[in-house]
Amino acid sequence: MTGRRLDGAVRRALDGERLDAADALVLYTDLPTHRLGQLADAARAVRHPDGIVTYIIDRNVNYTNVCVARCNFCAFYREVGAADGYVLGFDEIFAKIDETIAVGGVQLLLQGGHNPDLPLAWYEDLFRAVKTRYPDFRLHALSPPEVIHLSRLSQLPSRTVIDRLVAAGLDSVPGGGAEILVDRVRKRLNCYGKATATEWIDVMRHAHEAGLRTTATMMYGTVERLDERIEHLLRLRELQDETGGFTAFITWSFQPSNTELGGVGATGVEYLRTLALARLVLDNFDNLQASWVTQGGKVGQLSLAYGANDMGSVMIEENVVRAAGAAYCMDEVEIVRNIEDAGFVPKRRDMQYRVLGDPIFRVRQVPRMTELATAREAGDTSVPAELDRYPARSLAGKRRQSVV
Amino acid sequence: MTRRSWFEEIGARLQAGAPLSESEIAALSGTRDLVRLGALADERRRTLRGDRATFVRVAEVPAGGAGSAALPRHAGELRLTGRPASASLAVEAVRAAARAAGDVPVSGFALDELVDVCGRDAARFDDLVAALRAEGLACIVEARVERTTDPAWVVRAAAAGVPVACWTVGDPAASGGAALRRVAGWGSDVPVRVFAPLPRVVAGRPSTGYEDVRQVALARLLVDNSHSIQVDWRRYGPQLAQVALTFGADDVDGVSPNDAREHGPRRGPLEEITRNIRAAGLVPVERDGRFQTLCTHDQ
Repeated sequence: MTGRRLDGAVRRALDGERLDAADALVLYTDLPTHRLGQLADAARAVRHPDGIVTYIIDRNVNYTNVCVARCNFCAFYREVGAADGYVLGFDEIFAKIDETIAVGGVQLLLQGGHNPDLPLAWYEDLFRAVKTRYPDFRLHALSPPEVIHLSRLSQLPSRTVIDRLVAAGLDSVPGGGAEILVDRVRKRLNCYGKATATEWIDVMRHAHEAGLRTTATMMYGTVERLDERIEHLLRLRELQDETGGFTAFITWSFQPSNTELGGVGATGVEYLRTLALARLVLDNFDNLQASWVTQGGKVGQLSLAYGANDMGSVMIEENVVRAAGAAYCMDEVEIVRNIEDAGFVPKRRDMQYRVLGDPIFRVRQVPRMTELATAREAGDTSVPAELDRYPARSLAGKRRQSVV
Repeated sequence: MTRRSWFEEIGARLQAGAPLSESEIAALSGTRDLVRLGALADERRRTLRGDRATFVRVAEVPAGGAGSAALPRHAGELRLTGRPASASLAVEAVRAAARAAGDVPVSGFALDELVDVCGRDAARFDDLVAALRAEGLACIVEARVERTTDPAWVVRAAAAGVPVACWTVGDPAASGGAALRRVAGWGSDVPVRVFAPLPRVVAGRPSTGYEDVRQVALARLLVDNSHSIQVDWRRYGPQLAQVALTFGADDVDGVSPNDAREHGPRRGPLEEITRNIRAAGLVPVERDGRFQTLCTHDQ
């Protein structure tokens, strides 16, 4: 029975037919890794026959690590009032943008903790200030749980929050915080409170309806079952059918170090199989990114043989994965070398996946980058002055403001 | 002929034990279709070795300090590291290591180093190997491909009772097709059980994932005079080493013998290697430094 089921699923994948949950399950559990890779590679080649592999030069900036969500898989967050909690000042963020532009960067990926002392106005002021100083620079910012957090803080519908952020300068929304879009899993990861599966989907729907493009993600390898990973993919595919607003899908494995959940990380083969399955199931997604930041450069490059057509971001700065023990770095030169070594043609892109051109280091001199920057130097506990313009909600924040 | 049928044709010929032509080898070596190359190597590996993947937990001690070292309880091999300053010091190091090792096999040295300390004199070499064997040396750790000008030394060592365990590639510049051709060219008369085709030293720019797994796959397909194709767990890391097991490798060297549990039992070295082997669709089999099976970790 399984053999017939597998044969049928393979045939449907080869013919480019839509796969259902049972197809996806049997492909993952029963098809050898190389065969699964061949199917995914063929599906990638159909969508990207030109052999181009893209990447973006941008910077992952985490504006605050203070967070009330307390997801048990996260090694990055600090509780309100923690000595090593931080909020970046506007000037610090401007300096990061200057550095990003200097190496050919075109956007910030701006995400952070759910900090009760940062109201919606703080984000609006920041976005306006960025757009005033850097009119062409893009803000790929605030994942759905952050939008929901702001909705709760401001007591406004998330649709209104998105509209106000767009008016202030938001260009697109990153797909973070999806984890696994199944509420049983979310409850066990203590992230049900920050966003249920349906709430995450709804924010993305609102963003798409507001004219924004977004990405979609999946963090696997915690407490979910394989059928729940597949349910996650199917929910994304369903919304993509409805709106067409997702530009790309990115999956990565849970990084367990320094987290409350702990345990072990998924293996490299499991990553390649999950990626390949996603390429086959997400038949309405154009782009799949390789997660070299969690898998390392070598398996990151091998992703290009298992369905990925994009090497993600040069990144410049990364804080969240590093906090969980992974600290890989690839600058543009390395990313391009890996793409070409795999037999593809490297092209720079923007968030919308429009090709911007050839590698920037072949056009002009840019400094080599041997390690990713961090949000702040260790031990820097400075509090930005403009924070006092916004009324604090937390007790610690109120105490700080009363002292000031 | 389509690209796919070309791969299938090559696969059928390899399964039948037929030799490949120079142009076919060149085409295989240059292919960008990494997944199909890996599938060929995986098929070959499963034909030859089934679904077993062996690994060894290795305790490394400097050749000068073996006597004082406490051997980790789970080591399957005690390996002396470092170049011996003289023949007598090599013998002394093995004697001390064997005392510390008890029943655990002792290995050490690179073949070219032993040849050098004997001044490339065959009689002195034979005497040294006999002395090392008498003190308890189970095998010579490696013969570096780029430093092996005459494979007769390998044969001499084996004849004296201390086989070379592994062909290794020390210099990245010597890796690639040249290393594969040299090892394959020495034939089955040169008895070395394992071939580790990935360079032991990273010099200059690091290799890419494609380069690494392609080299492993080609080693599996083109080198048939070594029993096993090996990857090093510490040098290449769990992510790449595990993927290499699906590209034709069947043996993992360099697993830590320390039963470190500070991060919990599931993150100890034994749990990590067996979990990775199983996740690659293979059965983990622990061996010792003499390639004797110690345990099959079925579950």
